[in-house]
Amino acid sequence: MSDSNKPHFVFPKWTNKIVKVILIGAVLLPIYVVLLLYYGANARTLNVGYEPVQPVPFSHALHAGTLGINCEYCHTDVARAAFAALPPTQTCMNCHTAIAPKSRKLQLVRDSYGTGNPKLAGMPIPWKKVNALPDYVYFNHAAHVNAGISCLVCHGHVNEMTRVYQARPLNMAWCLACHRNPAPYLRPRNEVTNLSWTPKNKTRLARDLGLSVAKLPKNLGKYLMARYHIPGKKILTDCETCHR
Amino acid sequence: MKRSARKFFIYGDIVLLLLIPFAIIALHRYERSPTPRLAIIQDMDQMPYLKPQRPSPLFADGRAMRPHIPGTMAREDFVFLNTAEARAHPNNWKKDHVVINSGQKYDRIMLGQVISGGKARFISHIPIPITRRFLERGRGKFDIYCTPCHGYDGRGNGTINRYVNRLRAAGSPDAGTWVQPTDLTGPGVQYLPAGGLYNVITNGIAAMASYKDQIPVVDRWAIVAYVKALALSQKVVPVDRLPPPVRAKLGAVPAAKVGK
Repeated sequence: MSDSNKPHFVFPKWTNKIVKVILIGAVLLPIYVVLLLYYGANARTLNVGYEPVQPVPFSHALHAGTLGINCEYCHTDVARAAFAALPPTQTCMNCHTAIAPKSRKLQLVRDSYGTGNPKLAGMPIPWKKVNALPDYVYFNHAAHVNAGISCLVCHGHVNEMTRVYQARPLNMAWCLACHRNPAPYLRPRNEVTNLSWTPKNKTRLARDLGLSVAKLPKNLGKYLMARYHIPGKKILTDCETCHR
Repeated sequence: MKRSARKFFIYGDIVLLLLIPFAIIALHRYERSPTPRLAIIQDMDQMPYLKPQRPSPLFADGRAMRPHIPGTMAREDFVFLNTAEARAHPNNWKKDHVVINSGQKYDRIMLGQVISGGKARFISHIPIPITRRFLERGRGKFDIYCTPCHGYDGRGNGTINRYVNRLRAAGSPDAGTWVQPTDLTGPGVQYLPAGGLYNVITNGIAAMASYKDQIPVVDRWAIVAYVKALALSQKVVPVDRLPPPVRAKLGAVPAAKVGK
């Protein structure tokens, strides 16, 4: 026991505090990082709110909102094709040959139509795509629209947007939430483009469904699932339904 | 007491500092931005294949989609050359069957005309069987393509007309050369043969543009049918010529308020 007189190294008293801090940190820090990542890398945070500046300041709030032009007037193919086409310049000029014919905002439209800069005649207007899906997703507009899924479900209140922005996350988890249980999102096919539709208007609902008000189904979603032959969860959540 | 207060402030500051990233994220969440989303993992989000309305360097106009070739029509236009072809189509046979199997039928359905002795004449009847469903389809398409200018009642006072009138009243140059759209319930349209009306939708007339690229052939005929029905519905019928059950419903309404 010759060593007993040698002084042992003793941690100073304040190190007790550090141990406590490290231990608490080791527990709290991962929780903090996970919470931060969940909130920050969330599709709702990353995807929603993308609002690119368009080459022509077209306002959906004016055209679809104030003037009440139906979505399908311009996006004609939405119920027939997989892709909801942007309209050709001709569609703009249906009205704009007469209305605002000299507006500076419409210069690019006139260029494309052939009544402006002759060098740009016939060239497309370089619109920017707002709601984009990855290229391995084969989304079909016609399939959704004909099944009674409104534009509103994926695009939000476009009729109130001066400049269109992405209103929904459009990530896979978001798609699947509806694919697992589509019934609450359904409405009569001919009300798909009516962004202010409400199931509370019974007379209109009866007209849309071709039924009498007394015979309206109690559970509209379930009724439309059967009427539009919407497949069950098993098919709707199959990989091949959206990916090939 | 003083010590514990200091402690409280130190820990409080740490908590506040830790909350800053959340505050930045929260701000970003409720702000809209013109920069595209941050794609951390690209995977195969963007593939070099051509999708509709994507740009492509292959063509001079930079479009991946090719424009419609004059004198041709898309297979999806729901008009078939023969019954077998119509039947073979997976989706549309029962819904929209219109079969064109002769030159004469082509003239009638596609052009709304009959050509005899080198002279073309607009047909007076709609060459597609009119059912309730067909009329309802016509109403749907009318509501989409015609109402902005002609209005739901067809009298030529749609939302666009009213908007331009407001612009004109305000002295705005944006009112341009707009003229009030034609009253579809008036005699000018009412006595037009069905083929003539079809021709107006197809090729346009005066200030009205051609709608042949926006509305498929069968839908154009459905609109013709609906416009004819609409004109009939807008006619004033004297109360005493109404069927008795309808008159009974109107019983409470003073006679002066019903029509003329």
